[in-house]
Amino acid sequence: MDLTAGAAAVVRPRTPRGALRRPERGRWVAGVAAGVAAHLGLPLKGVRVAFVVAALLGGTGVVLYAFWWLTVPPGDPYDEAAAARPSAFARLAGRPHDPACVPHVRRWPVTDIAVGLLLVTVAAVGVAMRTDRLDAGWVLPALVVIAGAALAWSQLDEVTRGRWRSRAGGRTPFSVVRVLGGVVVAGVGVLLLVGRATGPGVDAAMFVQSVVASLAVLAGVALVVAPWWLRLWRALADERAAHAREAERADIAAHLHDSVLQTLALIRARADDPAEVARMARAQERELREWLYDDRPAPGTSLAAALRAVVAEVEDSRSGPGGEPVAVDTVVVGDRVPDEATAALLQATREALVNAVVHGRPPVSLYLEVGSSEVEVFVKDRGEGFDLEAVPSDRFGVRESILGRVRRRGGTASVTSRPGQGTEVHLAMPFAPVPPDEHAGRPTPEEEP
Amino acid sequence: MTQDVAGATSPAGAVDVVLVDDHHLFRTGVRASLDERVRVVGEAASVDEAVRVVRELRPPVVLLDVHLPGGDGGGGAEVIRSCGDVPGTRFLALSVSDAAEDVVAVIRAGARGYVTKAIDGAALSDAVRRVADGDAVFSPRLAGFVLDAFGAAAGDVATGDDELDRLSAREREVMRLIARGYTYREVAGELFISIKTVETHVSAVLRKLQLSNRNELTRWAAARRLL
Repeated sequence: MDLTAGAAAVVRPRTPRGALRRPERGRWVAGVAAGVAAHLGLPLKGVRVAFVVAALLGGTGVVLYAFWWLTVPPGDPYDEAAAARPSAFARLAGRPHDPACVPHVRRWPVTDIAVGLLLVTVAAVGVAMRTDRLDAGWVLPALVVIAGAALAWSQLDEVTRGRWRSRAGGRTPFSVVRVLGGVVVAGVGVLLLVGRATGPGVDAAMFVQSVVASLAVLAGVALVVAPWWLRLWRALADERAAHAREAERADIAAHLHDSVLQTLALIRARADDPAEVARMARAQERELREWLYDDRPAPGTSLAAALRAVVAEVEDSRSGPGGEPVAVDTVVVGDRVPDEATAALLQATREALVNAVVHGRPPVSLYLEVGSSEVEVFVKDRGEGFDLEAVPSDRFGVRESILGRVRRRGGTASVTSRPGQGTEVHLAMPFAPVPPDEHAGRPTPEEEP
Repeated sequence: MTQDVAGATSPAGAVDVVLVDDHHLFRTGVRASLDERVRVVGEAASVDEAVRVVRELRPPVVLLDVHLPGGDGGGGAEVIRSCGDVPGTRFLALSVSDAAEDVVAVIRAGARGYVTKAIDGAALSDAVRRVADGDAVFSPRLAGFVLDAFGAAAGDVATGDDELDRLSAREREVMRLIARGYTYREVAGELFISIKTVETHVSAVLRKLQLSNRNELTRWAAARRLL
């Protein structure tokens, strides 16, 4: 087993696994050994030695090599693996692959076992052939079955395998048993057909043999056809993926054209008006940010999204005391489905924001928190501050439009203002308690497993 | 976002920083906006270059963009990991991104803080000094992330001191005030504690963020292929 002993040390750290492709670089003949090594994470030298040894022992290595040469497409294994990531991640930076962070899942040393079995089989076959104990009629079919199964399996890259596994009922022992069982049945069929089995009781044996033989023919045909079928299927999938990528690119291009390019043109045209330029840049930034990072919830399902719309409206339409646009520093914790009470809360929040932007001084901070029993909003600015009691009851609309609106709905509202320290409006709106499951998490369907 | 200088500690000299960002325009802008308390001693535009420059200069603070080309594609988090053995160097992440996975990635890699690129020069200089002094820097948005990830908004707080997966009631208070736009000094005034105590709480939260196995953090990260 010294073949696998060095394997762990030489595994390339870049990606967990490359797709099965024949790389252009580092190939000796057709890149089959290099491709297999990259795919299985084995040392290249060991794979080559294994091929040579297998070739010397009955020519299996040559057959396997030729087969893979025919069926495995050329390409870079790591590029292929990288391209298999969902396109949603492609526009963000690459994710770190830190081995220290990977949770230690108990995993069967499949590769080691497979290589061990292969070596043992090859050795046994060699010994058996030398001592003429084994009929060559048995050896070849057995090798064909093993090679065929390995081939069919190796045609699937990691992603497809995962999909198949999950479709077969998750990575449970049951699905593994099902797959193994299928392989064993097919193998036995082939062996019975080719291997002239004789059993006691002619009729029963004949019956079983004929049934099994017909199954074996099917299995054999499937094995032979599988690689080509898979290749065709994969080409189709490739084409589909290319289409999806193309569509995504067109989507991005259209978006950039509609928004960013037009805003840039506008900004250039209005370069003499700094306030307007700043406002347009801010609006564009907000929109692009939303497009890039938000989960884009369905309309009417997210209080956070409704709040962002309110902030956008205030940022776009209101200016500070000097006519300059003011950005609102918004932080949202938690989310829930909006209702009438939160609509009133948002209206009050809007008024408070307008007050902070128009009469206060930036930075204006907005914090919304969805707690277990109420929604809280804090709007803070850094203006001079004022004495609420000294303000005439009609001014700023503070009393009516902010405080009154919330209190009428059963919420609480207060304004804290100290001269020199700015003003903070605190609004709280209780909501009818619902089972914790319904509002505990953000409504982001893509995070669901 | 504005942060006060911690008790106006008189700087004995300027803090040396290395600036890592792949946009030349942005590096120029940051260098121009930093005040005299901070001195840019080196720049880098990629993961490999950053690792080389940091190892060579060993600056007390590295201003690090989250998204960087080069290396193994790990961006800023990869730089932090590769430079984990450089003594006395602390990292402050600087990003334009709002995405939770970016924040969690660099913080869990070991960054001492996370500020957005919209920060103004004085506030950024304050943040650099704070990191140089060994403190953590939390922007309102990062505080919001923390409250969200630890479920603190729903009142899920720790009872013991050594609990890693929940915030203590005091830490939650501090995080909420920071999320509301309070500076460290204002937080201290509001809670009747010293600025040093505020910094201690913030550092404790940072530690929890880095070490916690809290399932929300893990779920986030798993959903976004972080871990």
